[in-house]
Amino acid sequence: MLPEDTVFALVVLPLLGAAIALSSKAFFTGKRKRNLEYLGAFVGLVLPWVVMIQLLPLVLTGQAIEGIIGGWHESVGISFRFDGLAWLVNLLGFTIAGAAWLYSLGPGPHGPHFTAVFLIQTSALAATAMTADLFNLFVCLEVMGIASYILIASSEKQGAFLASFSYLMVSATAMVFFLLGIYGIYRTTGALTYTGIINGLSGLPDHGGVVTYISLSLIVGAVAIRVAVMPLYGWLPDSHALAPHAVSSVLSGVLIKTPLFALSRVLLLVPAGMYAGQLMGYAGAITALVAVIIALSQSDAKRLLAYHTVSQIGYVVAAWGAALYVGTHTLQGSILMAGAFLHALYHAMFKGLLFLSIGTTTDCASQRNVYQLRGAARLLKQAGERIPITTITFVVGALAISAIPPFNGFASKTTLSYGLKDSWQYSMLYAAGIGTMASFIKLSRIYWSKPEQQNRFPVPVPNANKIAQTFLAILCLGTGIFAGPMYRFVVTLFAFGAPNGPAPVLYSTQTLMNTLILITGGTAVFLLASTRIGHNILKIIRERPRDFQGLFVAFSLGVTGLSGWLLFWG
Amino acid sequence: MIERMLLALLFLIGFWGIVGIRNIIKKIFGLTIINNAVVILFILEGSRIGNQVPILEEGIENIVDPVPQALMLTAIVIGVCITALALALAFRLYRHSGTFDIDQIHRQVHDVT
Repeated sequence: MLPEDTVFALVVLPLLGAAIALSSKAFFTGKRKRNLEYLGAFVGLVLPWVVMIQLLPLVLTGQAIEGIIGGWHESVGISFRFDGLAWLVNLLGFTIAGAAWLYSLGPGPHGPHFTAVFLIQTSALAATAMTADLFNLFVCLEVMGIASYILIASSEKQGAFLASFSYLMVSATAMVFFLLGIYGIYRTTGALTYTGIINGLSGLPDHGGVVTYISLSLIVGAVAIRVAVMPLYGWLPDSHALAPHAVSSVLSGVLIKTPLFALSRVLLLVPAGMYAGQLMGYAGAITALVAVIIALSQSDAKRLLAYHTVSQIGYVVAAWGAALYVGTHTLQGSILMAGAFLHALYHAMFKGLLFLSIGTTTDCASQRNVYQLRGAARLLKQAGERIPITTITFVVGALAISAIPPFNGFASKTTLSYGLKDSWQYSMLYAAGIGTMASFIKLSRIYWSKPEQQNRFPVPVPNANKIAQTFLAILCLGTGIFAGPMYRFVVTLFAFGAPNGPAPVLYSTQTLMNTLILITGGTAVFLLASTRIGHNILKIIRERPRDFQGLFVAFSLGVTGLSGWLLFWG
Repeated sequence: MIERMLLALLFLIGFWGIVGIRNIIKKIFGLTIINNAVVILFILEGSRIGNQVPILEEGIENIVDPVPQALMLTAIVIGVCITALALALAFRLYRHSGTFDIDQIHRQVHDVT
């Protein structure tokens, strides 16, 4: 079979799996129903790996599979492009989705309907990664969104329903603005495929002028809501904190990054894209620092992790935006883009791991408050965990996110910092690193010392949890140790045509000194935050007012700001 | 021009519904209204070059641009899905809290956590 024929299997197989899972609910009961559901998950999450491996030699040579779905004429068909970027985003998606689904077999949510929606979401991820058509991007984002609203609500808590509803309203409204942006682009260029849009724009005086800038701002703004970069992050903490643990790990790990890399396809081509990238990058650097301060103030363990997701996505967006600004054909740009992707991939691993480990721990102790839960390591032992797997996997995740060598977070953050050297963003990210360290010292306190209440019966830890967590922990350590080959692999796959330069040096006196400063600074910030004054300041930050309208005000401000920026520079 | 101004008005009414009204059912109405405003805008755009149905038979000329119509069919389907899901969520929120007022629901959730 030709690779051109198999590339759609990455989208179709998860959909087929979803259909199998749903039919198991409709036609069978008992054991046969469960077996058929597992077959669906196998088809949707394991078989795509066969296709991925088959496609790898092709994308490694820098080739891309391009074409129009169904062989229609260019002016009406939907074009797609499967290249190294799409392959890497699929790698990210299928790794984390597989681990998270495995985890869900333990604490839930159970049932064919969950598996079906989960697989539909995975399918939308694969489709988003390879689309090269603006309207198809809209459809993929909507499918992905609808699946995620359902998954967030599947924990059946009132707060989760509210979080899901708020996310749905702001995201669906933003998608209507995205549609308006498509209208603007279609009106000026008469095309929807990326190549058609570029051809159309280059034929126009001033590249389409004001209409193009505003349309582009609407599109970027709508995607920025999904990516949750400041100031458009308001929906994320509640929905990630209140979703089931397995869903939280996929939402944080995969779902917020796929739109970003899909968007880079558009922005790399459009002339004004570099300025949009520049502003997004600035917003990312600010996000990284501000979100980590809010994270430090949180009392709920999962909400703390959710704010760290916002902060870490800030790192990714800062590097991604800077890469778009300097251009990915330059050496610095290719290092930055590779760094952005590596951090997205590694963040998916360690944040997925952290959500699962903290989920297991808080379920076992029936307590989520960071200030009240103590001695969780002992509780887990009482629950029958003879080897302290959950505690170890938490420590692995915490070390990785705090950028301690040899874990993967160190490798990606060092690559990012190398690319951003001597810019103000670098100092923002450095400060954010200190905050991350401090807040994970705070979070790790739940494992220390004795439990406060002895009489509570800990809930046993299912085996599925341990397997999923061990798998991700091994990935975190493995990608950290083999950071050099991973970097070369990603740079080869991206195939920017940048001059071949030396890879950033990971282990030098300077980087190790930085780590030392990070640890010292983090401990100092943690101690400051533990004082009475620090405690009161954090309380004010934690209890700052947040409301539904704020989401829309932020969106309007973001889009207006971006159009102003583009008009000013463009 | 008058059509576009009316559509802009329709869009603003919908946006005001989403942001300004506290009842969540009316917020969902607002979402449907802005969605439909954009759908009509696309259809209007398609009719700039002709006004006949785009079924290519003999004797038919001046057809509308068929691409926006095809796009809007998809957009309408997605809009229906979103509305249905939003209404289902609104129903669950009502069952938990006994009210459709977003501020009251916010307050209840805040008190629990």
